[in-house]
Amino acid sequence: MLQCIFIISNSGEVILEKQLQGHRADRSLCNWFWEYAMTQGGELSQLLPVIASPTHYLFQIFREGIIFLACTQVEMPPLMGTEFLCRVADIISDYLGGLNEDLIKDNFVIVYELLDEMVDNGYPLITEPNILREMISPPNIVSKMLSVVTGRSSNVSTTLPVATQSCAPWRKTDIKNSGNEVYVNLVEEIDAIVRSDGNLVKCEIYGEIQVDSNLSGYPDLTLSFANPTILNDVRFHPCIRFRPWELYQLLSFVPPNGQFKLMSYRVKKLKSIPIYVKPQLISSSGSCRMTVLVGTRNDPGKPIDSITIEFHLPSCVTSADFTSNHGTVNILADKRCSWSIGRIPKDKAPSLTGNLVLESGLSSLHVCPVLQAKFKIMGVALSGLQIDRLDVKNMPTQPYKGFRALTRAGEYEVRS
Amino acid sequence: MFPQFGATAESLSKASSLVFRIGTDAHLYDDPDDVSIAPLLDSSFDSEKAEALKRLLALIAQGEDVSNFFPQVVKNVATPSSEVKKLVYLYILHYAEKRPNEALLSINCFQKDLSDANPLVRAWALRAMSGIRLHAIGPIALVALSKCAKDPSSYVRKCAANALSKLNDLHQEENASSLEELVSILLNDHSPGVVGAAAAAFNSICPNNLSLVGRIFRRLCETVPDVDEWGQIALINILLRYVIARHGLVEESIMASSHPSENSDSRRELFSIPAPDRGSILVEVEPSEHIMRELMLRHYIEGPEQYSSRQIDAKEDDNGSNNNSYFTSIENNDVKLLLQCTSPLLWSQNSAVVLAAAGVHWVLASQMDMENIVKPILFVLRSSYASRYVVLRNIQIFAKAMPSLFSAYHEDFFVSSSDSYQMKVLKLDILSTIAAESSIPFILQEFQDYIKDPDRRFAVDVVAAIALCVKNLPSVAKTCLEGLLAIVKQESSIKHYGSLEGEAGVLIQAIMSIKTIIKQDPANYEKVIVHLIRSLDNIKEPSARALIIWIVGEYSDVGHIILKIIPVVVSYLGQCFSSEELEAKHQILNTVAKIVLSAQGEEHELFRKVLFYILDLAKVDLNYDIRDRGRMIEKLVTSQPKISHQEGILHVEPDSILLDELLKNMFCGKIQSVTGAINHFRLYLPGSLSQIVLHAAPGYTPLPQPCSLPEMALENRMSQDGIEAANSSDSSYEGSQSSYYDSEGSIPSPVDGENPDSGSESDVADNDHYMLRGANGSPDATAIGQLIHLTDTSIHDGTAKQSTAENNTSSATDLTNLMSKSALESWLNEQPCLPSVNSSADPSRERSSARISINEIEVSVKPKLNVLLEPANGNGLRVGYSFTSEISKISPCYYPSKVPTIVPMEEIDSLHPGDMARSILQVHFHHHLLPLKLAIYYNEKRHPVKLQPDIGYFTRPIAMDLNAFTKLENHLRGMFEYSRRCTFADHINIVDQEKGQSSLNDDKILLICRKIAAKMLSSASIHLVSVDMPILLKFDEVSDLCLRFSSEILSNSKPCLITVTAEGKCSEALDISVKVNCEETVFGLNLLNRIVAFLSSNSVS
Repeated sequence: MLQCIFIISNSGEVILEKQLQGHRADRSLCNWFWEYAMTQGGELSQLLPVIASPTHYLFQIFREGIIFLACTQVEMPPLMGTEFLCRVADIISDYLGGLNEDLIKDNFVIVYELLDEMVDNGYPLITEPNILREMISPPNIVSKMLSVVTGRSSNVSTTLPVATQSCAPWRKTDIKNSGNEVYVNLVEEIDAIVRSDGNLVKCEIYGEIQVDSNLSGYPDLTLSFANPTILNDVRFHPCIRFRPWELYQLLSFVPPNGQFKLMSYRVKKLKSIPIYVKPQLISSSGSCRMTVLVGTRNDPGKPIDSITIEFHLPSCVTSADFTSNHGTVNILADKRCSWSIGRIPKDKAPSLTGNLVLESGLSSLHVCPVLQAKFKIMGVALSGLQIDRLDVKNMPTQPYKGFRALTRAGEYEVRS
Repeated sequence: MFPQFGATAESLSKASSLVFRIGTDAHLYDDPDDVSIAPLLDSSFDSEKAEALKRLLALIAQGEDVSNFFPQVVKNVATPSSEVKKLVYLYILHYAEKRPNEALLSINCFQKDLSDANPLVRAWALRAMSGIRLHAIGPIALVALSKCAKDPSSYVRKCAANALSKLNDLHQEENASSLEELVSILLNDHSPGVVGAAAAAFNSICPNNLSLVGRIFRRLCETVPDVDEWGQIALINILLRYVIARHGLVEESIMASSHPSENSDSRRELFSIPAPDRGSILVEVEPSEHIMRELMLRHYIEGPEQYSSRQIDAKEDDNGSNNNSYFTSIENNDVKLLLQCTSPLLWSQNSAVVLAAAGVHWVLASQMDMENIVKPILFVLRSSYASRYVVLRNIQIFAKAMPSLFSAYHEDFFVSSSDSYQMKVLKLDILSTIAAESSIPFILQEFQDYIKDPDRRFAVDVVAAIALCVKNLPSVAKTCLEGLLAIVKQESSIKHYGSLEGEAGVLIQAIMSIKTIIKQDPANYEKVIVHLIRSLDNIKEPSARALIIWIVGEYSDVGHIILKIIPVVVSYLGQCFSSEELEAKHQILNTVAKIVLSAQGEEHELFRKVLFYILDLAKVDLNYDIRDRGRMIEKLVTSQPKISHQEGILHVEPDSILLDELLKNMFCGKIQSVTGAINHFRLYLPGSLSQIVLHAAPGYTPLPQPCSLPEMALENRMSQDGIEAANSSDSSYEGSQSSYYDSEGSIPSPVDGENPDSGSESDVADNDHYMLRGANGSPDATAIGQLIHLTDTSIHDGTAKQSTAENNTSSATDLTNLMSKSALESWLNEQPCLPSVNSSADPSRERSSARISINEIEVSVKPKLNVLLEPANGNGLRVGYSFTSEISKISPCYYPSKVPTIVPMEEIDSLHPGDMARSILQVHFHHHLLPLKLAIYYNEKRHPVKLQPDIGYFTRPIAMDLNAFTKLENHLRGMFEYSRRCTFADHINIVDQEKGQSSLNDDKILLICRKIAAKMLSSASIHLVSVDMPILLKFDEVSDLCLRFSSEILSNSKPCLITVTAEGKCSEALDISVKVNCEETVFGLNLLNRIVAFLSSNSVS
């Protein structure tokens, strides 16, 4: 089981350590880890999640500039380690309203208290955000002001949340909300691989259903889809009952209070992509002319926002200059180019042209950059998944129900 | 662009963050020790205490050691404020290991908190208390734990379950059983959350006590969906292990598929090293898959120790092959239930749960249903970024064992530019494994794109993967070769590499891949070779050139075109020799030599010329290696018999035939494809850490041996009442020992000492049958080893009037009542220490003890008489038996059978009332302690009886002196030494009697010695080596009385030494400790138990 958790900044400073077991893991482990990370090229996001150090097995995740590092000396499911660290990162980020070095340092007491409740003897104890919120209240303006004015504050609850005892640990029983509303939000990411000749290699949608529930009492919700058969894969929040899904493809659940991810799904083998990106590379004696055209392929019916095209210039390119007829182009130090287009104008197709100077000895570019597109379409779920109805039972008055949808680019790649 | 603006923005954000930091603990983290902490800790205000503690926490976070505040902090634990309490607990737990003694100070406070009305306080106290790693605290913590395990709050019970493994870490032997009991209580808890935590505790405390699970298996399965996600992982692992141990592997599953049940031959070979051609047995399974599956079966079940030991002695282990119950069917209810209750977990949001559930299905589910796990684990790849690597590593193994499973999902493994290098390589490996006829066009198209990847390391791997694909699917060879040639062409056009490190690698790998492909059918790919040769002009990279030159030499005699261009090529090579790099020079030398050797006809002369030209150049080369090789080749080639030129005149010396052979082997041998590298890696259970780091992490446990948990053990568990106690009589104890003994490693003995299972019973029944035929004189059963003097006696009881009827007492049987005097004497004669007392003190010993020998001991030695047939049952016939220590004349290796065998014996014609007949039955027990079922026939009636073998007679006395004894004893120390204590009370009566009579001169201690010796000698076939008797002032006290016995095991002649030490008062029961030194652990332990059993049993003399 986990022995110790370290939180490390992206400059290698250990922000805090939390020993979880009687056997302490020494801090020097972090030095070893940091040196290892540097020998691996220093790209923190590319490090392996499971590393065998000479003395310990390390699990690590990298989130927004912070490394969460846990160690163990015995066999345990490695995914349990990484998954738990993800949970820790989620909850801390949720509490502090983001993740960065200063935030963690400023709220180190809360982080300690959270970690102490989340894990006991290296084994996850409470990871349910709703219960944790009851046990340790998150920092907010009021409590900060209070502490400034009165000079004292306590964010540790004196009573045990009732939900720890119930069989639905994600919800406490006596919730009273002033509002009486539930929002269902479809957030989809479109993954696509397009070859240089414009052929679609694969296109699929990864989607999440996010629910924001502000309902009092103990509501029982049933969500049904008009076309559940298009769902290829699904993963559920623990509140979803398995039987109704197995039998009728219905989502029946008692929702946690507040925002949560109800399910995630995948729709595969889609045929159409909203925008096209056409890169073209023409090499001639030591230099290479690059043009990229972007345009709407299949109009989703809603405007496509904040389009950005990013790519890495190959290492054999010594210099490059780009001009575009729309939007701005930036070349960063690590040879990363980013062309932010925004919305596609009606009158012209945005294009990017540039000249790449190749390393001497190369007559033509033999490696090809992969272009990644980012965009966002509000109000549309490109997978075509439709929510049929949402029934709320166990409520005295029918709540307000809201539905929204959003599609953005996931791993949307165009090879050149 | 606008640096000044950027600066403003930065300072703005700094200012805003300053605003945000107000009211947080920021200042505490930044300057934790700007005020002195100690007075704050002693403050009477909670807020000041809290501040001080926060400062300490900040120091801990920054890695400072603030354990010196421990005493001051600890006393604050009594605070009513929950915040301070929480902070104190945080502090204490951090330093509990370092300052355990001071932590003790707080124990009273913890105990008070444990009975607090607030469950949160109780839980905190329990967590803090169990976190203190101090042995002294063990018992107190255990009491607290048992109390908390029954707490009304499930949260406290959950914490109690977690605390169990903390306590277990202290390694307190005496607590082990109570911990297990608590685990069992908590596993039975009605709250799913507690069950999950208890499952984790089970895994760390008693992972092998699977019988705990048996009783509640169904209930546990039903609670699985309600258990919290972390508990699910631990729980389904236990359930899987239980099912394997209880029911064995599933016949339809992938693990069993390497094990075709129809084919008994391959079944026997199951555990042997897989032969490369094994795949031919199963038509539908590829050889490599098949090997993979076999490996899986083997590796999942055996632990690291077994693995390494097998590596060393390569011993064949055929555990499973003779056990039909090794397999169960998918229809088994428990298997079905477990699969059913884990299926919904595949939809879990926690990727660890998904993978754990997939692991259960991988092991148990039938191959048809395996499809179910594919989509969920592939979805994990997309939905949880952090888990991708681990999941891919597991998929890699799954795909190798069953490529068809994933072949339809190749799209999921297409590389994305955001993947790290390791992930790309993993995906590539999976893609080339699962490539099938239907998907290969798409995969190859992808590969074409990958070759253009900016990361050239990856491009090299892609080129290598192409060759792998061709190996699996020869039909695409043509397309691939074209592609590879294009790569060669493109890469060779790059003039010099400069900073382009990887480029050369791509080129070399492309040629290597071509080489691997053409190797399979060189004649067919002649054009490819020609193409490569042509590109020699453009390729500059020395290694690449060397490779191509090697290909020329290897395939110089293939096809037609090559034959034609070879002269040109050879001249070309000769020309460019001097400008080549070292590597290529070597290959030119070899290649031209090869061509000369294989060439025929007119070109031969040309080749020789070129060769000698090159050799001349080589002689003056700068590199000594080239010079040496040149000389060697010259020597070899010139001494070659030029048969072709001197037609008709064959004067071949025998020497040159040898040389010819040598040359052929050196230069003309064709390489064989090498396979079997797969055997070198080790597989671990899916989802385990060991599988990721590729070595067995500490605490890794493989699956249990299939069917190692017998039903009996379970049922017994289920009715944990008096039955068990009743059964645990001496005989059943021996029984369980015996079943352990004969198991030879196949089935570990039942956990709680039950009678031998049905299998061995039938074994005995067989013997019975044997015996019947034995009466007809047919079987040539054999035996030796143990030998039984067998006397058939009828009893002289008045009741016995069966007289003449006895005539037809049939042969069979054994037993004996009394040993005839002569037999007894002959046996005793072997006792070496008959002579009279020579009680001289041994000066070499520091202790004042006397070594004595005991005379007349034979009188009191009565071989133990066992009753085979009671007169009451036997219609007046009484049959008794005892073991002798005579050695049978039948050779031990005569009948190598493993079951006890019997030498036929003669019938006893008739027996008169009151008469006694004695005969000898020879039984070879083969080291088995199972009772032997026999039948006695007399008066045409059959009387089934049981003959209990006695391990005491599985040995043979060997005479040795004390020096030899101590020497041998020194060799058998440590793990070969076992000891137990018991009490001995036999002497009391006699001592008392003696008291009444006057024999003052008869030393009591001597009497005791004699008594013990007699009892030992009459219960086991051993030799008395020496008796050390203490010389003490207190005449009623015995201490350090020491008797030594020696013997050797009959079956393998390994020595077995027994030392008996007695202590205590003469008039009371003596404290005896028995020590056995024996190389054979199991035998030694059994013998020890036997000795202790008979020494402590109160025999009526």
